[in-house]
Amino acid sequence: MSAEVLQVTVDKFTFRFPVDLFYSDAGAWVRFEGPRALIGISDFTQQRNGDVAFAEAKEPGTPVRAGDEVAVVETIKVNLTIPSPVSGRVVETNGDLLNSPELVNQDPYGKGWLAVLEVDDVEQARKALRTAEAYMTLAKTQAEAEVIR
Amino acid sequence: MSGERKKVPVAACSGIGKSLGAAAREAAHILTEDLRPDQAKVVALALLVMGDEEAGREVAGREAVAIDGCKLECAAKGLACAGAAKVRKVAVFDVVRRHRGLKPEGVCDLNEDGLTLAKAAAEEAAKAIDEIDPEGRHA
Amino acid sequence: MPDLPKKKVGLISCSGEELPEGTVTRRAVRKVLETLRPDETVTLCLPLFLAGGEGERAFARYYPTIAVDGCDQRCAARATEKYSAPPVASIVVTEVAKGCPREDIGTARRLNQRGLALAEEMAAKIAEEVDRELKAPRRSRAKAGEKH
Repeated sequence: MSAEVLQVTVDKFTFRFPVDLFYSDAGAWVRFEGPRALIGISDFTQQRNGDVAFAEAKEPGTPVRAGDEVAVVETIKVNLTIPSPVSGRVVETNGDLLNSPELVNQDPYGKGWLAVLEVDDVEQARKALRTAEAYMTLAKTQAEAEVIR
Repeated sequence: MSGERKKVPVAACSGIGKSLGAAAREAAHILTEDLRPDQAKVVALALLVMGDEEAGREVAGREAVAIDGCKLECAAKGLACAGAAKVRKVAVFDVVRRHRGLKPEGVCDLNEDGLTLAKAAAEEAAKAIDEIDPEGRHA
Repeated sequence: MPDLPKKKVGLISCSGEELPEGTVTRRAVRKVLETLRPDETVTLCLPLFLAGGEGERAFARYYPTIAVDGCDQRCAARATEKYSAPPVASIVVTEVAKGCPREDIGTARRLNQRGLALAEEMAAKIAEEVDRELKAPRRSRAKAGEKH
């Protein structure tokens, strides 16, 4: 993970956003690695939705378009459908989450990754996503509106 | 049986921010009032961590049971800090994973799913009590 | 002191698993948070605070925090002072209960009607303190260079 991380604090909650990632409005992050994308849910998304009990991504081989369900994250509070931030095909999922779903909460940008996708068009995918700074602004607005308890 | 048997100390996280904390607290009460009233006793976590001598004497050098709501394990850490010889951990969060689909709600008043989880956690804690104090169960 | 956006008041309650008064404090704090002053307050989890929760400790360091305790041990007030900064107010149930015997309010597991009414009274008193604190000028709480 890049050393530079933006952060914002709302009440007692601090949300972190590594600057080397891209973000969807729905709260997923993307790390582009050549033609592939490593994805997960943002620190803001995981804090907002609570302790993760189960996290399951679509099986390798599954094609997805941006916006289609690519994973389901079940927390104590809600069942979250994670829309894919990119169009492509799932090539790998995080097997560690089967026994340790809490990794999504503890290390959302590292060990808590959800899936790797082969991306159809990386440049187009990048353009449709937010930078860390832009996403942080969105997250801050949402957090202040919600007042996470 | 001669002499007064000391009850196994139990600490619950009682987290006020999440229903899992409320479920952990309820589980501690179910354990010490319904399931194992003669063998287990609740110890106030805050008193322990703040160094209360009487609370500390209940725990120091003894085996104890921690009932925590989430993976932060505040009760287990508190018991360890207070000098418990061994801490057996019951995590309501893990109980949730074994009862998929339950959605506990409420902090002051748990919903039905929350109470179900609390009972399941209490039963797990009761097994831990039995392991620590097998004679008490069969006395 | 960091640049703070909207002023909010932290509420930290004892967990009081052994005493019905502990349950009264929890109920009272949740009432303030959920109903009486939802936009102006934040609860701080005492167990997490004690276990080293940085978010909780940082909040209490920079925001005014009211401690609500079930007994004279004042665990919430002492913990706040020890790990962050002195609370701006410290309320104990026994002060509000005005001599009402412990046996009369129920158990730690279940409060009776009197205990529930006491929780409502406590909540109202906490809300008053919140209002007082919101009107007070913002002031630095952490002493420069002070660490714990």
